[in-house]
Amino acid sequence: MAASAADIRSALSLPENNAHAGPSQLKKPVQATTRKPEGISRELYSLIGPSAPSIAAQLAKPRLKQKPNFGVGGVKTKWELRTFKNSARNDGLQLQHWVQASEDPSAEYSFSKYNVPNNNYTYSQDEYTRYLDDQEWTKEETDYLFSVAQDYDLRWYIIHDRYEFPNGPQRTLEDLKDRYYSVCRKLVRNRPWPGDETSKTLLLASFQFDKDREMTRKRYLESLESRTPEQIAEEEALYIEVRRLEQNERKFKRDRENLLRTLAGMDSGLPDVMEDDIVSSGVLIGGESVYKSKKKKGTVEDSPATPSTATIPSIKKPNAPKNVVFDAQNCIIRTEAPPTAIATKAAHQPAFLRSFKIPAPKAALAPKINQALAELGISATRLVMPTRDNFAQLESLLDVTTHLVETKRLVDKADYDISVLKKRMEIREGSQVDGGGDGEDGMDIDGSQAGVDAEGETEEGDDGRAVSVMSGRSGRAGGRKHGRRSMSISSVDTTSTRAGIKRQKRS
Amino acid sequence: MANAERVRVRGVSIYRPIIYGNTAVVLNQKERDSSSHPDHTHRWTLAVRSAASAPDSEVVGGADDLSYFIKRVTFKLHETYPNPSRNIDQPPFEVSETGWGEFEVQIRITFIAESGEKAITTYHHLKLHPWAAAGEPEIPPLDVAMKMGPVHSWQYDEIVFNDPYQNFLNILTAHPPTQLPKSRTKPVPFHLAHPKSLEASRGGLPEFTNLMEKEESERLEEAKKTIIEEHAKWHKKLIEKEKELERLQRDIADRDE
Repeated sequence: MAASAADIRSALSLPENNAHAGPSQLKKPVQATTRKPEGISRELYSLIGPSAPSIAAQLAKPRLKQKPNFGVGGVKTKWELRTFKNSARNDGLQLQHWVQASEDPSAEYSFSKYNVPNNNYTYSQDEYTRYLDDQEWTKEETDYLFSVAQDYDLRWYIIHDRYEFPNGPQRTLEDLKDRYYSVCRKLVRNRPWPGDETSKTLLLASFQFDKDREMTRKRYLESLESRTPEQIAEEEALYIEVRRLEQNERKFKRDRENLLRTLAGMDSGLPDVMEDDIVSSGVLIGGESVYKSKKKKGTVEDSPATPSTATIPSIKKPNAPKNVVFDAQNCIIRTEAPPTAIATKAAHQPAFLRSFKIPAPKAALAPKINQALAELGISATRLVMPTRDNFAQLESLLDVTTHLVETKRLVDKADYDISVLKKRMEIREGSQVDGGGDGEDGMDIDGSQAGVDAEGETEEGDDGRAVSVMSGRSGRAGGRKHGRRSMSISSVDTTSTRAGIKRQKRS
Repeated sequence: MANAERVRVRGVSIYRPIIYGNTAVVLNQKERDSSSHPDHTHRWTLAVRSAASAPDSEVVGGADDLSYFIKRVTFKLHETYPNPSRNIDQPPFEVSETGWGEFEVQIRITFIAESGEKAITTYHHLKLHPWAAAGEPEIPPLDVAMKMGPVHSWQYDEIVFNDPYQNFLNILTAHPPTQLPKSRTKPVPFHLAHPKSLEASRGGLPEFTNLMEKEESERLEEAKKTIIEEHAKWHKKLIEKEKELERLQRDIADRDE
């Protein structure tokens, strides 16, 4: 479209040049008399003239966002460059930033709270064999997965990218996620839980991961993205066609309805064409917009980052308030009767004293559990008030205590194993460091010391032990190098292994 | 009896709070002299009662008459008592005797016929001597014990009926038990499962309260918290140890190569 000279003039706000003759000249007297209304562009106005439809005149001129009004009335804000420490960092790095001088200098750095550390789950060998065993995964690989996941803070694409387990099978991102989250779920489910049940179910729901669903979703997205332009066009055409058909049908129905109502005074009884009015009106405007809205809708439905079928189990609806009061007064507890329960005399649970149903700990661990509880002033065999709630409490307490006792036992076992290994190494190294000369004497002292070590510490197994192990190790690391150098003396080597066997037997 | 009445109401479990136990007082010299058994040092009362205490009552518990569902209570005393099996068919369900020693009493509670339930049995250690804190003499001299007042030994419990017959359920719901008081105005009944209540149990007639349940619940909760903390600590330690062990095993394997 070529702009006329008059256009350019008015755009540049130049005075009209009367010397020029042109089609715009003719319009000039008309334009001069009527002012262009707000909200209509100049070009449009020049086309339609003063006979603009009333609706256009009401269109407000698009306005820019209102500028924020800083410091009205000359009130100045003082800003300062201050150093601050981010409490979320542990390296104590000091940076500087500009803050309003009115701010409290001792205030916590306001962004530190967004550094939410991921709860890092660890599991013991025992827990692994009991709950986490999986045919597809070895413990080593699971360990590796957890270390990578921790290193990259659960950024799954990065984890998947860096994931490289030697001699392991190829893993997809979903495999990794599935394994990680299933392990977390199992750990949460099987470990003593400090909070209440709802928080536990909430946490479990956050670890929900449905691998199949996620894969289907990605496959679907991929097929959606990889359509050819022809396919897209065809789909679009089909879609518009369907819409048109629906529209027609609706129109027919409406007409028929009207006809019947006016003629016979009754409803046609035809089923409604279920249709969203906004979408169908879009058909009239144009296919493109329809397609867009459909696409948008589709992606919204399909794009939850972690699809989950987990629904937090709805808490059982309490009885009507009247019933609750009545039941509480009469000490009635209602349970869902099992539907298949056969009403036989044998199946009936006879009357009992509540205290007879006191939860009992595992028989094998009972003495240790009772002792642990006795230390806390709890009698596991009798309660002052053996009520239902208290028994439930006691049961979870026993459960937790069982975990504790078992963990302690495992620590003892690990302690013992460590001490055996340590002894073996010490014996070996002792003989190697000492060399051939007075090897016998040195070994003897070493051995008896290790023997005492093992006996004394497997029973106690507290912090002191860990320290001694650490120091022992570091000391040995140096000794080992030395030992390697003198490895060639074969006679020494044989005596040391023999001695090692002897020591093991003794302990 | 209508047939519809003899239907079990499924999915309903209804209980009645009771207490059982005994109260014992030391006999004074005059009482002992007038007794036919001069060696008897105590008078005691064994009882099965409702858990809540009646206001201004002289005994522990017993606010409700339990005979609406209990037909008979049998106390099986030590064989040295004449007619040691005492059947009590009328409320109050209690036995008073004199004696000189503590022993285990068998208590058998028989329900009314409508319940269709068998009798239940429990045991109670007849307590004559005052509760003693650790380190105190188990059995103080009589004159000391006399000054300490009556000895109370009571166990709270709940009799639970599952799927009761409709007519029995009707009988039970017609007699809702008196609720335990919400706050404590009298001493706490002492219980061995809570030795720390000894101090609070002194100074008169004890009473069961709802507070006792709540306090016990808190005690259990507290213990659970402690144990979970402890567990977390040990779990961390275990994982450290396992890593250590793994390192050692690797070291040894390296050296064997």
